[in-house]
Amino acid sequence: MTSFCQASERQAAGWIEDPLAHFGYSATRMHSMDRSEQEAVQLAAMNILLERRRAEIPVLAKLADAQGIARLDSLDAMAPLLFEHTVYKSYPAALLAKSRFDQLTRWLDRLTPYDLSAVDVSDCTSIDDWLSRLRDETPLDPATSSGTSGTMSFFPKSKLDYRRCFEGLRLQVLQTFGKPPSEADLNEKLHVMTPTYRDGHSSVGALARYCMHAFCKGDESLLHTALPYKLSADLSWLAARLRRAAAKGDISKVDVPASLLARRDEMEQQLTEAPRQQAAFVREMVETLKGQRVLAVGVSPLFHEVAKGGLAQGIGGVFGPGSRVMTGGGGKGIALPDDWDRTVKTFFGVDRLFNNYGMTEMASLIVGCEHGHYHLPPWVVLFVLDPDSGAPLPRSATQTGRASFFDISNDGTWGGIVTGDRVTVHWDEPCACGRATAYLENRIQRFNELQGGDDKITCAATPAAQAEALDYLNALEG
Amino acid sequence: MTTTTDPICHAVIRGEIVSSDLVQFGGRGGDITFLAPDPARIVSRLPLESPGKLQDLYSLSLDDILDYLSELGKRLELGSNPYMQEACELSFATAPTTPPIVRGIFRDVPHWFQPDRIREWSELTVGSRYLEGWVETPVNNATVAIRAYGSRALHIVAGNGPIGALSIIRGAVTRSDTIIKLPSNDPFSTVAIARTMVDMAPEHPVTRHLTVAYWRGGDEAIEKKLYQPHNIEKIIAWGGMASVKHVTKYIQPGLELTSLDPKSSASVVGTEGLKTEALLSEAASRIASDVGAMNQCGCANSRVVYVMSGTDETGLETINRLGEQVYAAMLKLPSGISTKPKRYDPQLKAEVDALRLGGEDWYKVIGGEDGEGAVIVSQMASPVEFVDYLADRTVNLVPVDTVEEVLAAVDASTQTVGIFPDDLGSELCHTMSLYGAQRFVSLGYSFNGPGPIGPQDAIEPVRRMCRWIVREIPAATRVPLWELTEGNASVVA
Repeated sequence: MTSFCQASERQAAGWIEDPLAHFGYSATRMHSMDRSEQEAVQLAAMNILLERRRAEIPVLAKLADAQGIARLDSLDAMAPLLFEHTVYKSYPAALLAKSRFDQLTRWLDRLTPYDLSAVDVSDCTSIDDWLSRLRDETPLDPATSSGTSGTMSFFPKSKLDYRRCFEGLRLQVLQTFGKPPSEADLNEKLHVMTPTYRDGHSSVGALARYCMHAFCKGDESLLHTALPYKLSADLSWLAARLRRAAAKGDISKVDVPASLLARRDEMEQQLTEAPRQQAAFVREMVETLKGQRVLAVGVSPLFHEVAKGGLAQGIGGVFGPGSRVMTGGGGKGIALPDDWDRTVKTFFGVDRLFNNYGMTEMASLIVGCEHGHYHLPPWVVLFVLDPDSGAPLPRSATQTGRASFFDISNDGTWGGIVTGDRVTVHWDEPCACGRATAYLENRIQRFNELQGGDDKITCAATPAAQAEALDYLNALEG
Repeated sequence: MTTTTDPICHAVIRGEIVSSDLVQFGGRGGDITFLAPDPARIVSRLPLESPGKLQDLYSLSLDDILDYLSELGKRLELGSNPYMQEACELSFATAPTTPPIVRGIFRDVPHWFQPDRIREWSELTVGSRYLEGWVETPVNNATVAIRAYGSRALHIVAGNGPIGALSIIRGAVTRSDTIIKLPSNDPFSTVAIARTMVDMAPEHPVTRHLTVAYWRGGDEAIEKKLYQPHNIEKIIAWGGMASVKHVTKYIQPGLELTSLDPKSSASVVGTEGLKTEALLSEAASRIASDVGAMNQCGCANSRVVYVMSGTDETGLETINRLGEQVYAAMLKLPSGISTKPKRYDPQLKAEVDALRLGGEDWYKVIGGEDGEGAVIVSQMASPVEFVDYLADRTVNLVPVDTVEEVLAAVDASTQTVGIFPDDLGSELCHTMSLYGAQRFVSLGYSFNGPGPIGPQDAIEPVRRMCRWIVREIPAATRVPLWELTEGNASVVA
């Protein structure tokens, strides 16, 4: 028993240190582990991290103290220590309006194990300035995300988090399950084509930068992006605050610094021009990258539009062997035809499209398998919570509820996060792809999108009503 | 197939109770399911086929109508009316509030039907002279006679208060034909009133001009048929986006929409209201009442309180003390008015918990760990970012230094502003009205006033329910057009 525990602890230390290396960079190995052994290591790793991070992350210490939890005797015992995503936006928006980046740094410092107290941000005048300073002078590369309410989250991701994320992505999309990784799988340089930004502090802004390391192996000439500029966090913030003010019926109440408001035309110009630039870019890349091995990452409607046009002109099979096309999301309200994926595959010359499930708050990105299932890597501990009580549902059979995760590989933050996603997990039903790990069905919905439309009418202004008003405005803005 | 024992939401169509062809509704997100007549089978019977059929309501005087409503009110006593008792019990499952509060709402329904109250507000908002006949006024060298006629109106009512009762009364007073589309959060109370009307006076014109039914909001098969100018002239929709988004596509000339948008409310406490411990304690009780009444499920409930305490150390100490007292006062409210909420919104809880963990430098959170409600005291002059989520007895106190900062409290969706002390200034009301506020009350009296007496959400819905008809009689001195000479003709019509 003792040696079993010690073995678990040794493995746990390996997972924390470098999960990909621990599994020999093999997609096959990481998805072939015995379930009970996996859970023993997960528990050991979470205990190591709880003890370590408690001393390093003040907000975690506060929560753990309040819950009276110092040690976990089961995986589910972690549930009360998972952070709500709201923690990462628990600063007052007035700090941004007043450009108080000193206070924001102190706030962020309490959410990360890294010490930010020595960073001088007194001369930062914009969000981009501030985040760039943190990126330049600390191990962090903080990520922004803005929700429908017009509030911006700051998540103290580290550069290591991003590197692991994109190395993990490479491993998942290039390797074939059941085969050991080839030299090319591990080290071949690929072209990366993505109709997004060159740089930025949100997950879409970071994509190109870190793909350049993981897929282009640092060769910038292989990186192709549509928008040659950095996605500005300040302009995203401005757009969100303008929408918020508009939804409240008085745009003059927009609470951003005057210097940022002055950039409104720039923002609107970017928003107007981007779709045309993106479509033109993909068409150009089809020429430039003909026959090359490419990783293309983009949204489905854009790829479909270009593919449809290309096929109509008799162009097809444009990328070289071993290319990968990764699609996702896309604009609301854009209905794609049923055969959209066939059109895209035929045009680019690939036999499948990859999709993924992930979020800013989790270092690991999960790529769908050949059967459309999201298999959890062993270092990502899933909790499916009862949507009402928040209690963990049994870790067996099939369960539907609120997804929460503890990602043992998270470096810049506490790994535990409660999401707003409604997921269905199959804990112990084998998947035809051969992976032994538990998996999520690909039908994942946001809980707040499931509300509404229930014919409950009240005279009180509710967030759902506000969100609908915002959606309406967004739709008007196209 | 209806093999369940689900409760039934009967349709009541012009004096007839319909309980056939039942289909199942509701059941989303753990809600109860209920049965109601298949809307597709009854839709053609819902509208009044001709506006001329309003004629029978004109055999009644306003006094006759008030007598009817008065008698109805007496029969709606919860203690003696089995329909009301059954509806009350069933509403425990559908209402956003808790059983003691739901029982309180049902117990108060007869109060709405008191004839003196109805006479007073109808006199104020429309005027009985206009409801009873032509009101003649000399104007612009003519005599005009104006009369307020009823209309064929469809009411899409909210489910967080006795809005069905209010719509029935408003329909009767204006001599309108009233169709009420029930919401899934209150499918029972209006039906209980309608059934009582049928028992009391099945042939009475007021009974014969009321139709109550449930269909799923947005059901195109039903709404496309019903929402036509040949069926109805007016739609009064509560709840803004939630109900209006289905309706707007049917609005066309001949079909008018009155939209009572979703609203929220705020409060202001001036420096004078904090001067003594006694005043501070009174302010706390007043805030607690406007926050806690009906468990903050209404549009008139305060959600943000701007306190002119100042933001220096003394100011923050004062507002924090006020916060503690608001919390204590809220827990002491009587259970017929306020209780621990039915279910604390998990999204709101996530926001409040996050402030407790990560936002302690800027927010002091009092209570809220047991889902009982919470007081969030900002430690700087700005409200929480999730201000739109504040509900379930959760209020945000915001300290400010100047009266200008108080204006941030109001926007187009602000309904009520509670003010303490009362003499804080009519100047403030004036400016807040420009920015969007629609109702001012003495803090603590948001749910303890004259009731809906006319203006509501900056419009007068009862006046808009009427069709305003004018007759013009020329003065004797007016020269007829046919007697004008060439070059002198002018047409003003």
